[in-house]
Amino acid sequence: MTDKEIIAKWKNETAPLLPVLHAFHDRDDYISEDSIKTISAGLKIPVAELFATISFYHHFSRELPGKQAPRVCTGNVCCLNGGTELLDELKSEGATPMPCAGRCDEMVPVIKGRQVLVGKNSTSLKCRTSPLPIPNPGNSEECIFRYIREENRSKLDGYQRNHGYAAMRQAIESSPKNIRDIITESKLAGRGGAGFPTGLKWKSVAEANGTPKTIICNADEGEPGCFKDRAIMDHDPHSLIEGMTIAAYSTGSNRGFIYLRYEYPETEEILQKAIDEAIQNNLLGKGILGVEGFDFDLQIRRGAGAYICGEEGSLLNSLEGKHPFPRNKPPFPVTHGFENLPTVVNNVETLASVPPILRKGPDWYKSLGIGDHAGTKIISLSGDINRPGNYEVPFGLPLKTLLHDWAGGAPEGKKIKAVTMAGLSGGFLSKEDLEVTLDEPSIKSKGSFLGAGGIIVFDNSRDMVKVAHSAMEFFSHESCGKCFPCRIGTQRLKERLSEEDSGLDALNWVKEVNEIGEVMKATSACGLGIAAPNVTDSLQKYFPEAINDHVNK
Amino acid sequence: MVPIWRFPWLITSSSQMISAKDVPATARILTVSVDGELVELRDGETIYEVTNHCSREVPTLCYDPRLEAFGSCRLCVVEVEGIKNPVASCTTKATDGMVIKTRTNAIEQYRKTLLEMVASENRNLDIDPLSGYASQELGNLIERYEARTDRFCGKKSGKTNQDDKNPFILRDYDNCISCYRCVRVCAEQEGDHAINIINRGFETQISTEFGNDLRDSQCTFCGQCVQTCPTGALSDKKALRAKELPEEIKKTRSVCPYCGVGCTVDILSKGDRVVGIHPAMDGPANEGALCIKGQYAFDFVHHPDRLQKPLIRQKDGTFKESEWEEALDAAAEGFKKVLEENGRRSVYGIASGRAPHEAAYTMQKFIRSNFGTNYIDNCSRS
Repeated sequence: MTDKEIIAKWKNETAPLLPVLHAFHDRDDYISEDSIKTISAGLKIPVAELFATISFYHHFSRELPGKQAPRVCTGNVCCLNGGTELLDELKSEGATPMPCAGRCDEMVPVIKGRQVLVGKNSTSLKCRTSPLPIPNPGNSEECIFRYIREENRSKLDGYQRNHGYAAMRQAIESSPKNIRDIITESKLAGRGGAGFPTGLKWKSVAEANGTPKTIICNADEGEPGCFKDRAIMDHDPHSLIEGMTIAAYSTGSNRGFIYLRYEYPETEEILQKAIDEAIQNNLLGKGILGVEGFDFDLQIRRGAGAYICGEEGSLLNSLEGKHPFPRNKPPFPVTHGFENLPTVVNNVETLASVPPILRKGPDWYKSLGIGDHAGTKIISLSGDINRPGNYEVPFGLPLKTLLHDWAGGAPEGKKIKAVTMAGLSGGFLSKEDLEVTLDEPSIKSKGSFLGAGGIIVFDNSRDMVKVAHSAMEFFSHESCGKCFPCRIGTQRLKERLSEEDSGLDALNWVKEVNEIGEVMKATSACGLGIAAPNVTDSLQKYFPEAINDHVNK
Repeated sequence: MVPIWRFPWLITSSSQMISAKDVPATARILTVSVDGELVELRDGETIYEVTNHCSREVPTLCYDPRLEAFGSCRLCVVEVEGIKNPVASCTTKATDGMVIKTRTNAIEQYRKTLLEMVASENRNLDIDPLSGYASQELGNLIERYEARTDRFCGKKSGKTNQDDKNPFILRDYDNCISCYRCVRVCAEQEGDHAINIINRGFETQISTEFGNDLRDSQCTFCGQCVQTCPTGALSDKKALRAKELPEEIKKTRSVCPYCGVGCTVDILSKGDRVVGIHPAMDGPANEGALCIKGQYAFDFVHHPDRLQKPLIRQKDGTFKESEWEEALDAAAEGFKKVLEENGRRSVYGIASGRAPHEAAYTMQKFIRSNFGTNYIDNCSRS
């Protein structure tokens, strides 16, 4: 496509900037100065602003070889499993490192153009579909993964073979309020990590003034060690589409976006095919299932490599083509979201839980949890563990059951030393705290949180200070640079964890690290800066002797 | 402050603290409690604005009252009853009955730590006040909080761009603390969008499009970025020429002599030399804004080419220095001649925008009464 055609295609669409940038990036393998000037004129964005916004995204290249040069995952799991070596091996092809690309169950991912290859060395690199969740090893009932392993599940036929779109048909027979009540009763809460009650969010949007309203699926799964949304979208895309459409129906929204992370190019194709199929079968679009006035226009917007865009304020700014800094809250997206209008922002897992909940009822869903805990959670398990992968666990399952009984424990001859929680954001759990159960109250009582459900395992051969350094390196790489405590704090914590001598004695090291941590937790503007010090806090809690060695080295 | 007579039921003999919650909602006056003091609130105000009513002097670095609150420096955090983490007072709306604490020990400690962190990324904290209007903000806060400048050592942020070849704005990003006031003032006040924030995190940098010099950007050299910069990372190159002059800086309030807008300025002088211009933040016409002329074009004052005596053009085209008496006679002669030969409509007066008000008045009087026409205008209209 020519410049003109690209601009003309998107100019009058909603949220046009990201697709336009990707169109130029895909066509030329990089975004040239001339392209930036053209886009600036076409979309009426000042050149300096556009230039700056593009520079915010890790994956937009501004020079050749650009997009075709391999990007090798050197994320927190991959760097311990050959990622760094693979990067060196591919240096001659212009390879650059990238943070966790969400393929921790099958290392090491390398992105080349629109392909994801996996393998631990250049000869074994191969393009293949992402792994399915391992057949449920416990005897617990699944909600989301119930049918995901069925053949052809990603196609409409396959999906409909096992109750696909039945919940939506059921929903349109009922009132939007009734749907919201069912979701509220089921105690479904945000599975992206924040845990906000989904029913309440939908109610707030339904009752908020202003139209059009928007449903946004946050599929920017950027947290290291999290790859659960990828599994859902790759193998059960219609469950997400159905969940979103039901959300649209019950909140009176008529437009929707899936904000998908850059690192999942194949997922985009799978989702787009599923959306097209749904449109052809009157399951999306105008007058859905023949219900007059039930319109839902669903589009995919692809991110470009910025962890912070998983924060809902940043995500909304990114969609709107603005600089992707988090927004000040309040106001919240339920009243002032996309284009300042009422907006639901839900995680993939949350939305995919909706159809089974509607079909089987809130009591069924609640009963899936253990004890007082309602429902299930997908855990992405990776690192030093025999069977890494996605597991749908009942809330309240003992962590050790998952680690040892379900996933086969540490590799032969090793012991589990520590695990992370919430990907990296929850810091580490170790020693007697590994006795927790997988639910927020239990994990929060140890100063951590379950969050999006990524758990990275480290065995007794790992140097925990190095691990912590790699975690902080991630946070400082991804800090957006807006608020002072996070921008400076992540950098300073990273420096104090690095092998280079900080010039501090043990006493001052601890004092400085804790003081930075305190100020970050208390005053950071968004979750990144609030959560990052969990790494240093938990490191000190469980491994004080390692810190001593580190400082006295 | 809320006059206490509005709440007679609260007047007690003791000096006990009162809480906004003690005021019944039916009183219909919105109030918040700030450090135990009841303060009236206008609807829509932020906590920061309310704390200003009672002179709390909450510290800030990213705040400029003319700009949309940004909430990045986090120095203005305050405690609000019922909210777990401190909130940024500049971006949080005050609501009726809010109980706010602006300087608890914890809050003051956060501020001190934050300032020490900021100092750690900065190369130079001793900034000449000629650098710009707000250039002392960081230094003053560090002093106020007795913040140490030798803690949290590590990599410095920002990359100087001192070789930007423009004659007005010194871009020394070694001193930049990424508050983005420059970027925001350029976009929100000036509408130029000449600079923006590239990269992320500790690597953020203020940049024009493609990292070009300012001359090759949309910059109009209004200097607003310089005047809002709280660290001297952007400074006034022309004013800094007078850095070595030994005299104290004196500020004289005046009105910009250029166009008809009438921007209020503070003229900076050292001894009898004009060394720079600051926009007046309280100037009714400009609220801190100036243009390139008002901001930087003051060199004529001490310029050797500046006319000190009237010159009379001779028949051969050369000029002869003269005294006023003689020059005025020559001018009157000329006007009379033109009037006799070509009539009264042959004279058109254009007053200089640089002339003071009284001179402009005299000028129109001169045209109207001498020639009986309204052929009078001012250069600032054209």
